[in-house]
Amino acid sequence: MSLGQLERKLLVVVGAGGSGKTTLAASLGLRSARAGAETLVMTFDPSLRLKDALGVGDSAKDRAVRVKSGTRARLDVILLDAQSTFDRLIERYAPTQAAAERIYTNRFYRELAGNLAGILEYMAVERLFEVASERSYDRIILDTPPTRQALDFLEAPDRIVNFLDSGAIKIALKPWWEAGGGIAGIPMRLAAKGVEGIADRLLGVRLLGDMLEFFRAFAPLYDGFRERAEQVRHLLRDPETLFVLVSGPGEDRIPDTMFFARKLKEGGHRVGPIVVNQVHPQVGRTGGPADGRFAAGLDLFEFLGRRDQQGIDRLRKLLSRGEPLVLVPLHARPPGDLEELEQLGEEVISQVR
Amino acid sequence: MSILAQLSKRQLIVVTGKGGVGKTTIAAAIARLLAAAGRRVLLLEIDPRESLHQLLGTEPSGGGIVKAGSRMSVQNLQPRAVVNALVREKVPIGVLAKKIVSSPVFQHFADGAPGLKEMAVLGYALRTVEGDYKHKADVVVLDAPATGHGASMLAAPLLLSDLVGGGQIGDMARNLAEFIADPARCGVVLAALAEEMPVQELVELVALLRERMGRPPELVVVNGLYPEFPGGPAVRRSGGTAVHVSPGTSDDPPLRTAQLTARLTDHPSIIDLWRERRAVNDRELKRLREIWKGPRAEVPLQALERGPALLAAIEATLAEELA
Repeated sequence: MSLGQLERKLLVVVGAGGSGKTTLAASLGLRSARAGAETLVMTFDPSLRLKDALGVGDSAKDRAVRVKSGTRARLDVILLDAQSTFDRLIERYAPTQAAAERIYTNRFYRELAGNLAGILEYMAVERLFEVASERSYDRIILDTPPTRQALDFLEAPDRIVNFLDSGAIKIALKPWWEAGGGIAGIPMRLAAKGVEGIADRLLGVRLLGDMLEFFRAFAPLYDGFRERAEQVRHLLRDPETLFVLVSGPGEDRIPDTMFFARKLKEGGHRVGPIVVNQVHPQVGRTGGPADGRFAAGLDLFEFLGRRDQQGIDRLRKLLSRGEPLVLVPLHARPPGDLEELEQLGEEVISQVR
Repeated sequence: MSILAQLSKRQLIVVTGKGGVGKTTIAAAIARLLAAAGRRVLLLEIDPRESLHQLLGTEPSGGGIVKAGSRMSVQNLQPRAVVNALVREKVPIGVLAKKIVSSPVFQHFADGAPGLKEMAVLGYALRTVEGDYKHKADVVVLDAPATGHGASMLAAPLLLSDLVGGGQIGDMARNLAEFIADPARCGVVLAALAEEMPVQELVELVALLRERMGRPPELVVVNGLYPEFPGGPAVRRSGGTAVHVSPGTSDDPPLRTAQLTARLTDHPSIIDLWRERRAVNDRELKRLREIWKGPRAEVPLQALERGPALLAAIEATLAEELA
């Protein structure tokens, strides 16, 4: 009952939107619990069908809920919520309740911090770290937010720290003339002055005031936040962490998949099997004219099967020898209950055992 | 008036939807239709990994403007470049502007600052149609980022104009928010697949557009539909594997029925897949129709590789649907 190559403590399921990541993450979770590991699946926005199949509703929002999976080990699910994770983060690191309140009520935080580039992605890893350090699960499966290249997800900790770290705060907090010193500092100071002047002229006093207030309120939290981002980076590179890359079939999806696999490796992450999901079955060419709706429909399926197979062949060629490729066929119906979900999990596991 | 005629009156058409629904193809097809209708069109792509050139059969843009047929050009716009250009414009001293743009402080700010890049792109579109640039266009078609980000792109000006009191960004935000909210100038086209999650996101996006921007989308395009299953009840599985086509009930000439039966018998799983996938499409189309009574176009899956031929086929379908 082993999970084969997926026998790791943390599985991060990544891939482009619409590739069926969330369903796969849940199905692997079920298989993992069946194999005797206490398992948590963290996900963002599962479909109604999947929530029904798992028997979890909005009660799982931001807190773990047990799935009635009938497995020996338990299977829990959390539906991640960026805003409440952010709120809790602030509560944890704020030196006083008053300091936390100052941030909560800040207009910049309320209206814009939720839209800060990469915040959703960052909050996913943040929450992951929180749960991982509690050590109450044998295995955590993280379904990442859908991103075009899913790279945002990995870069989010850096981007957030860079943003907080950068001049946006320093300029707001320090008068420009304090930055740098001596003759060598002049160009920098000029630039800083320019930035400040521009910021004022472009953004206006009101927003600058709000931002200044936000960063001031944020300053005491900052070291903790930064340290946390650093720990998250380590966790994602831990030997017990494996990335499961999910790709749509078809040749046009391959460049994205290869690009992401390369980026993951370059970043020092461990990439496990690449799962090509929802592969159309191959239909042998039987010839015959393509008029008539039956014939046209069959021709379409012939095309789709061939297209997907070409994509897979190409992916095989591009991957170095021995790198596993898991093929999951497109099913007539998406899994609608726990049993079908577990079958899907088994389809993957059986190929990496 | 036809939907196409309506669309061709707009100055900006923002095409958005969940990732993987064929947004880019729909945006390109709409751009071509507008160009064919006599408008000068600039098709903007924001994804740094260019893909429009494959569809159009042009050179990659690399940030520049590339001609893609008569009256139509395409550009892969890097938001960062627009922000930088804005700084150069606002800071009169060249050396200073250069320092600012190249300072890491500014770069991190421009990368992370909420709404800034979105505004820059929309601002670029507005200025293009207002004739501020050397390159003129009557209409900009924007292949916007996937829904989550696409929605925040549309909402960014309003959010910023609420938040920012004054200053040039505040003025720009107000200006842009008005532009986006004006159904006579800006059209929003939502693309989706008739599957559960894409339709769910579409429903949410329609609500968001209505509530936050006080405007509906101009058009909803349902892409990638499996063909309707022609046999209907006449085709059934028997004994779990064999498939029968009752003569005379399919659209195919009787002579060919035997041939088809042979094909189907070889692939009972395809029939099951076809019917079920279309059933999902039908169910989701029904759900969509319940919440969206406005203009809708349906685009079937095409047996074509991604490229100019596929684009032409989708353009032809849309032309019919929007006529």
